[in-house]
Amino acid sequence: MTERERVEALLKRQKPDRVPILPFASAIGFSGLYNKLSIAEAYNSPEKTLAAQRKTARDFGWAIIPFFSYASFGGWEFGGDIKWPSSEFSQAPMITRRPLETADDVWKLKKPDLTTAGIIPLQIKFYQLSFKDDLDNEPFNIIAFVGGPVTLAANLCGIDNLGKWSIKNKEVVHHLLRITTEHSIELASYLKSLFGTDRVLPFCGEATTDNRIISPKFFEQFALPYNKELQEAMLSMGFRHLFCHICGEQNANLPYWAKIPMGDPGIISIGHEIPLSKAAQYFPSDIIMGNLEPAIIQAKTAEEVYKATRTVVEEGMKITGGYIFSPGCDVPPLSPVDNMKAMTKAVNDYGWYK
Amino acid sequence: MPSEERKKEILQKLYDAVVNMDEDAAKEWSQTALNEDVNSYEAVTKGLAAGMGKVGELYTNLEYFVPELLLCADALYAGLEILRPHIKVDKVEVKKQIILGTVEGDIHDIGKNLVKVMFEAAGWIVHDLGADVQLHRFVEEQKRINADLIGLSALMTTSMLAIPKAIEMLRADDPATAVIVGGAPLTLEIARSYGADGYAKSAGEAVKEAIRIVNLKK
Repeated sequence: MTERERVEALLKRQKPDRVPILPFASAIGFSGLYNKLSIAEAYNSPEKTLAAQRKTARDFGWAIIPFFSYASFGGWEFGGDIKWPSSEFSQAPMITRRPLETADDVWKLKKPDLTTAGIIPLQIKFYQLSFKDDLDNEPFNIIAFVGGPVTLAANLCGIDNLGKWSIKNKEVVHHLLRITTEHSIELASYLKSLFGTDRVLPFCGEATTDNRIISPKFFEQFALPYNKELQEAMLSMGFRHLFCHICGEQNANLPYWAKIPMGDPGIISIGHEIPLSKAAQYFPSDIIMGNLEPAIIQAKTAEEVYKATRTVVEEGMKITGGYIFSPGCDVPPLSPVDNMKAMTKAVNDYGWYK
Repeated sequence: MPSEERKKEILQKLYDAVVNMDEDAAKEWSQTALNEDVNSYEAVTKGLAAGMGKVGELYTNLEYFVPELLLCADALYAGLEILRPHIKVDKVEVKKQIILGTVEGDIHDIGKNLVKVMFEAAGWIVHDLGADVQLHRFVEEQKRINADLIGLSALMTTSMLAIPKAIEMLRADDPATAVIVGGAPLTLEIARSYGADGYAKSAGEAVKEAIRIVNLKK
């Protein structure tokens, strides 16, 4: 089977011959540096980063769903400023000025024009380029970034403000989440109008709801209703599968995440902080994707990466609902190439189903 | 001077104000402490700071999370603003000092800010360099301050790579420089491999680890 056929088999609830390898977010930063781009070009040059992602996936033998976005999405799009990564230690674009500073700012906030806001026009260009080809390692033409309402809100006002308001000024948080949820739904609808639903995998999920930051009670109160509304809306638009990244330490949130529809099936990407077997218990009907610790790929030797990958793959293969191998979050851009080869080799050596 | 019973009540109210995230109560009871001649140093250490110590425990035990911690810190600072100018220094007290910052390439500062609160509550002098700090600035600040400890934070796997470089630069200047590190991608093992003297998994554990490091360096 090709890598594309492996992922497609899982989407049809069939068993592939081997665990597919689909690095999270197309290893956007790593692919850029591997192809001699600057780290900024990986995030702001649609033509260059698409070519880099595709060449990297081909060289290593991975599946790929072209990806063009960044974790701080929203800061620029709603009127703030970002800084493209430039230092040798920068991983991704960073927000330098948030659009919201006070609760009063929230009440005055307007949704941005999707045709001009921040990176969205560049994303549309990237998606148009990707749709020109139909490759044997791409199960979808694009993974379309839609974003999670809470993380988007935190990118607008800062997690410090969002967190404080969640205790002392709940109305303002609900108002902000109403706007970010509607923005995400409108963005998904806009993307559907341009690219349809069949070859588009919407990307949602949350990073800010990490339980090292917020409580499961916060999740239940603020993240659950708005994420549920967003994902139900996208499914009703005709998107059959959703990609949901549950970033970081969210073990205590899993009972709530499990109440949110993910598609038929959805793809649930989890960090190394959540055991694969636990994710499978909460999402028995979905495909679980993960969860090699990114820091291992960057900091350990090739032998250690190979060993750690083997452990992850062998755990993942026990999941009956379907499993895709990936790092648990973005591949660190400076990961050694030999480590990425070792990771890939381990899946190729141990990922075959009987 | 208030009676022992009244003093105890005021200290308890200050403690409760911080633990209960009640900025207004922290202001009110700090002013009461002043009005009723409670020793300001005691009001801070046995009231406000003791409350923040409890908050650190609640955070470590997953009863409080970052939003609660931030609101407790607001209450702490509201009280400190009233009481600090009235603290009488009877003898020359040498406070421990830490230089803190999120390393170059990383603007995430919430973890670093929480660590700052915990150190301030514990009576340390904190020199906060902010976020996305060029590595040479840690060296320059240490030359100027000669702090007991340098605290380096990183939230990204890539920016984490700035930490060993910063430690190398600091030790090139003074091999005895003590460094504590923290941030989501770090582990004790990685911290050790980078040459750090210590690692704190969360803000609630940072001061305890810092004291351990500083005592070892004596």
